[in-house]
Amino acid sequence: MAICVKPKNARSKRVLQAREPKEIEDPRTAIFVKGTHAGERANAVMKELMALKRPHAISFSKKNAVRPFEDASSLEFWSQKNDAGMFVVGQSTKKRPHGMTFVRMFDYKVLDMCEVGVDDWKSMAEFKVHTKGDAGTQAYKPMLHFASELFESHPRFVQLKSMLMDFFNGEEIDAIHLAGLEHVISISLGPTPPTMNAATTTLEASTSTSEDPSTLPKVHIRAYTIRLLKSGTLVPRVELTPMRPSLDLSLRRHTEADAELWKQAMRRPKLRKQDVEKGLGEKHKNLEVDEMGDLRGRIRVGKQDLGKLRTQKMKGLKAGRDDMLPGASGSGKP
Amino acid sequence: MDVSDILAAHEAKQKAVTVEKDIPLEIDAGFLTVTDLNPVDKESYDADREEYLMSIARDGAQALLAALFSLPTTSSPDGPLAQLPPPTTQLPRAKPLPKPKPPTKWEQFAKAKGIHKTRKDKKVWDEAKQEWVNRWGWKGANKDKEVQWITEVRANADVDHDPVKAARDARKARVAKNEKQHQQNLARAMPLPVGTSSTGAPADRKKQIDRTLAVTRTSTASMGKFDRRLEGEKKLKGVKRKFDPTEISAASEKSRDLAILSKLDKEPSTKKTKSSESSASDVLNVRKAIRSASKGKGSAALAREAGGGKGKNFKKGKR
Repeated sequence: MAICVKPKNARSKRVLQAREPKEIEDPRTAIFVKGTHAGERANAVMKELMALKRPHAISFSKKNAVRPFEDASSLEFWSQKNDAGMFVVGQSTKKRPHGMTFVRMFDYKVLDMCEVGVDDWKSMAEFKVHTKGDAGTQAYKPMLHFASELFESHPRFVQLKSMLMDFFNGEEIDAIHLAGLEHVISISLGPTPPTMNAATTTLEASTSTSEDPSTLPKVHIRAYTIRLLKSGTLVPRVELTPMRPSLDLSLRRHTEADAELWKQAMRRPKLRKQDVEKGLGEKHKNLEVDEMGDLRGRIRVGKQDLGKLRTQKMKGLKAGRDDMLPGASGSGKP
Repeated sequence: MDVSDILAAHEAKQKAVTVEKDIPLEIDAGFLTVTDLNPVDKESYDADREEYLMSIARDGAQALLAALFSLPTTSSPDGPLAQLPPPTTQLPRAKPLPKPKPPTKWEQFAKAKGIHKTRKDKKVWDEAKQEWVNRWGWKGANKDKEVQWITEVRANADVDHDPVKAARDARKARVAKNEKQHQQNLARAMPLPVGTSSTGAPADRKKQIDRTLAVTRTSTASMGKFDRRLEGEKKLKGVKRKFDPTEISAASEKSRDLAILSKLDKEPSTKKTKSSESSASDVLNVRKAIRSASKGKGSAALAREAGGGKGKNFKKGKR
């Protein structure tokens, strides 16, 4: 870490310890920064995204002249100071109106970036009504829905899917309260233009950096609240009611992650015993979990030749014993 | 009894909750995400975009909910919780993996013995007061012996035995011992600093102790010459004194005397000029370097040795 702070009291020591890397990570804190001229649309969209991301969101109140694609040093400094894993930079220029850049960090360095332009949006005045439960805390975890085959095949959309998943839902959790599932965020693309089909997407990927991004289909982000209806079976029937916000985005510039940094970021911790029991990892032969929950192993010993087993010591059968009989030319002991 | 009606009704219900697609939807229950890989239908999209988007979202949500509702549940005070499986999509980490710390002495022992960590509560039941008191902290139970106004004392106890002081000292000693052990754990967990020998810290410590011992043995009035050596002590290595032979060649004697004379001719150099002249003095202590390189004989001897290798040595070392 470039900035090394020695804790002077117990509180700062606790804060530093909380920032240390953990095996299972906390959700990424996102910093919302405004560029030199953000514009009304970009501002409002950032405000709504922040409401969705609370409490893991920090908003910078002042405008900062930051150009993520040219100079990443200020982003790195802010991420170190605030312990943030994501940035949303809003900027509106004549050439790129209503632009937002999503930036992801690894180890306080920029991992990858994706710039989008907001073409259309509808505000979310009604959203607050739906947050049931304790006042002031975040909304419940949204369910995410991605609709298009390009999310699997086209590298740009793979990156976008990964970014949005990290943004909305990045935390690994063990259990969820089923009644608490109340909204879905659906991210869908426009129809695939005929120039792009599954066979050629991978080929085009190499030329896509120079390709005009306007040929890529637009991204629609819609949010819906869920109503569960009785269906007679255990699984209820789902009905959706549209909810704000809804955004229409078009992809612009992007940077891919540096291969070495990406490899480090994707490293997983070694599987613990519980995960092995669950069946993850390579199937280890000879390991099983019995009813008591203990991990038992089998040691396989080869087949024994029972004919060669020695059960009792027979002194008379000892080799070389004949020499010791009296009368023989014995050199042995009597 | 017409069973077929009931069956048809049941099937209709099932249909309402199942989703049929060309390519089955990929569900990542760990992240509550469903991915629909079916290509977007251009006609429905153009006809009524919002309706179409809502319908595919509904299908996706239905499939995801079906998967979530089929997960094993545990009960909790808030209601049933579904146990989520570990996620299938890999997202990049925000921070590098933590480096594994070596287990402390207690952790190793506990693992070997099979001892599990027991969580202690902050409150403890006090029978005498019939209430819950803090185990530590303000008005904690650990300070009872120091606070109580009367203590039983043994018959053979000291006159000035202060039970309050004794209890307080014991508590402070426990805290200090714990802190010391914690520091030792941290030191053991730290990677060895650059410059330590590859043989490890205990070997360094042993060498350090041996060196200190050697110094103490010679730090008596007669430089340890007449002390009896205890068993187990190693014999000390000293600088071997070399004496010039009684007969030396005339040439070497001549050169030696001339060197002395030349030294007498020179002006006495003060310490200050010496140090200001030497440019490499801050990096290298020239005097000490010569002493160790020449084994106490001096620079002239070094030079002679380097030059001839034949000439007799004479001591120049400082007294």
